[in-house]
Amino acid sequence: MAEILGAEVDEEGYLLKESDWTPEIAKSMSEEDGIELSLEHWEVINFLQEYYKEYEFAPAVRVLTKAIAKKLGNDKGNSRYLYSLFPYGPAKQGCRFAGLPKPTGCV
Amino acid sequence: MANDNPIKLPTYLEVPAIKKNAMAGNGPFKASEDIQNSLGFPGEKVDNWQQVAIDKMAETKSKYRSVQVFLDACVKCGACTDKCHYYLGTADPKNMPVARQDLFRSVYRRHFTFAGKYFPRLVGAKDLDENMLDDWYNYFHQCSQCRRCAVYCPYGIDTAEISMAAREVMNVIGVGQKYPNQILGKVKKIGNNLGMPEPALKDTLEDLEDEIKDETGVDVKLPLDVKDSEVLMVTPSADFFAEPHIDGLIGYAKVFHESGVTWTLSSYASEAANFGMFIGNYDVMRQGALRIRKAAIDLNVRRVIVGECGHAWRVAYSFWNTLTGIGSGGSDEYSLRLQKQLDSNYPQPQHMIEFTYDLIQNNQLSFDKSKNDHRIVTFHDSCNVARGSNMGDIKNGQFILPREVIKAACDNFVEMPKNTIKSSTFCCGGGGGLLTDDLIDLRIKGAKPRMHALKKTEQESGVNTLAAICAICKSQFSKVLPNYDFDPYMIVSVHQLVSDAIVLKESSDDEV
Amino acid sequence: MSLISIFFTFFFYISVLIFIIGVSYKLVQYWNTPAPLKIPIAPASLNTSGVLIRYFREIFLFSSLYKSSKWTWLFGWSFHLALALLFFRHLPYFWPGEVPLILYKTEVLKYSSYLLFFGLVGLLIRRIFVDRVRYISSPSDYLMLLLLIFIASTGMLMTFGNNHPNMLLVTNFASGLITFQWSELPKEVIFLAHIFPVFFLIAIFPISKLLHAPGIFFSPTFNQVDNARKKRHISDWALNKEEGSKIDLENNDNEKY
Repeated sequence: MAEILGAEVDEEGYLLKESDWTPEIAKSMSEEDGIELSLEHWEVINFLQEYYKEYEFAPAVRVLTKAIAKKLGNDKGNSRYLYSLFPYGPAKQGCRFAGLPKPTGCV
Repeated sequence: MANDNPIKLPTYLEVPAIKKNAMAGNGPFKASEDIQNSLGFPGEKVDNWQQVAIDKMAETKSKYRSVQVFLDACVKCGACTDKCHYYLGTADPKNMPVARQDLFRSVYRRHFTFAGKYFPRLVGAKDLDENMLDDWYNYFHQCSQCRRCAVYCPYGIDTAEISMAAREVMNVIGVGQKYPNQILGKVKKIGNNLGMPEPALKDTLEDLEDEIKDETGVDVKLPLDVKDSEVLMVTPSADFFAEPHIDGLIGYAKVFHESGVTWTLSSYASEAANFGMFIGNYDVMRQGALRIRKAAIDLNVRRVIVGECGHAWRVAYSFWNTLTGIGSGGSDEYSLRLQKQLDSNYPQPQHMIEFTYDLIQNNQLSFDKSKNDHRIVTFHDSCNVARGSNMGDIKNGQFILPREVIKAACDNFVEMPKNTIKSSTFCCGGGGGLLTDDLIDLRIKGAKPRMHALKKTEQESGVNTLAAICAICKSQFSKVLPNYDFDPYMIVSVHQLVSDAIVLKESSDDEV
Repeated sequence: MSLISIFFTFFFYISVLIFIIGVSYKLVQYWNTPAPLKIPIAPASLNTSGVLIRYFREIFLFSSLYKSSKWTWLFGWSFHLALALLFFRHLPYFWPGEVPLILYKTEVLKYSSYLLFFGLVGLLIRRIFVDRVRYISSPSDYLMLLLLIFIASTGMLMTFGNNHPNMLLVTNFASGLITFQWSELPKEVIFLAHIFPVFFLIAIFPISKLLHAPGIFFSPTFNQVDNARKKRHISDWALNKEEGSKIDLENNDNEKY
């Protein structure tokens, strides 16, 4: 198994154990993807984690965009903006940075 | 998602010269031991895998006439060789349907036929060795089981049947694909492909109700687990989660609202998709269908309606009655119980498109088509709907009904070239259990024929909206459209078009 | 009877025997193998007459092949049509006793051998020169075509050349095979070379791709009626499975809601 900063990840780069997550891991993952984490990225990551804590599941993209609209303003509460933050998809890439499992299915 | 180097498309789609091993490789990620075990398959490759595989082949061909006949009947005429989108997109000769089948057929000949046992070189018979197994794993996961080749085969040989059989054999020896098997494990445990638990589903649906209320001022409901509803709605879980799918779900809700028919989603059967078909496993497929039957019985509904999901509709329309006796004609206990419970005035199950179409025919829906005036729409026929199902019980209904629904909501509708639509439709490139990031290269290349047809239509009639009725198609297109210099947001659900144009009556709650 | 006549007589019966036993075996196998799921392929037929029409179009017109590839259709259809016509052309030889007048009229069908030759050579050229078709071809695929071309050529040389074997001998030999009144065959090499591969092809029919002929009738994608919602389609093995599992009922009685 591959590791990132000592935490085990699966073949797609997702943490095997959510409890292993640290902000440093998110930073390291984003650097590998060529992304510098901004305040907006952290807002998304934090929301993903909060939501996951409550529901044991990542929020639907629509739920995420609305939450971000509330926090960062309506101009940023849309999927185009989220994709500009996370080019591989706010759900998949966002969850990876947040240490959450990858959303599966026809998504 | 801008793409700096979009793939240039030629003015007409050429059939490429073969490029051997163009797509050679290790195939998609393999399923872990846990995932395999969750479906009752061996966790890793069994020691005597060759023998187990040959035995499984013997069993499969004795249980499936399709497999036995298709293995014998091919004359290698070559009619299918230029019909597969993966061949057209990759030029790897093993992606020609007949060559893909031959990976399986050559082993069949070697082990089960006189000519192959005694004259293997003469008839192209081959042993099942490590190399062959690697080819199986790689190339049977480059088949989206779209069945386009079968439309063009003079004997109706359906590569999907062979590819399903091969995947089943591989699972039985412990060599499974991560993507579909992991998902099937989640369906078993939680009830949907996403692994979305009931509280998250409930929250999401409430969120959507708020959104509709904000936008329209009307109380449109998305009910969950409401007993004694008229309709049980079973839709792909991507409709609860992904873009643009979720707008299609909102469309269903609005249509139900207008129809006055009570409906409910089920948290137990919160998935229409049935990847059991992709891995060719009857039992797994049946388990998925049984969840829906159980939900129908428990919720005491009169009708079952299926949302926009291509292979789900094939499974529902063509297989549900076989697997669970959900429609009429069954004589077992559950069939009889369901026949009593379900309303025999309607086919069971029905597609959401059929439901909406009927309302349109009866003038029960009103539309403000100008809401879609900024769109020039074309329709992508999803392969499993187009080639493996019907709608409306009229000849070619599966092509007619979705188009009629679109035209009821939009004024500008155009078709893509004739040999790329209806029964000749090209797969989006992500079907059949291939919609996974580890196959993204294949998915981009496999989308080429569809993208080419779309480009042509864009140049000729300025099309800016691509409508589909399949969750896989929608996800796949959002991902690959930018690679061909299209806007990823041009892909929409058919029921999003409905949703945008439908005129809602004030609900009775508001009048109080 | 000469040794060579005995050999060919024997060869004929062996071939026919292998053909009958082998094809029967395959027919029984296909018949007994269930098709557990409804998998008709578009354009699917919604009723039985639709299925019959579909078969008519596929068998007499090769309609799917026409849709696929015009060249393959032209060669393949010509070849099969000519084969059918030439079958009738050969019937008078095998007819026991007085040959009906109508069969004499089949004489004119001899010209269809040009069509046969044309179709076969076309298919061979396609197999050799189209890279995709070359890739999927096994030696047996070429061999089959070459045998058929050889049969067509020797037949044409006898019919249109100066190599007529004694027609009376041919008729006596051929009809004798049917009536079991065996007689000498003509010893011209070209005649022997004509019938040898014919008998050979009869013999290998059940163990080769010639099985496409019975196979097409068993193809579930063609022969199934698209009515799964109206009528339950279920195989015996699936039904047994259902009866074996009582868990379903328990689950259903134990309501979730």
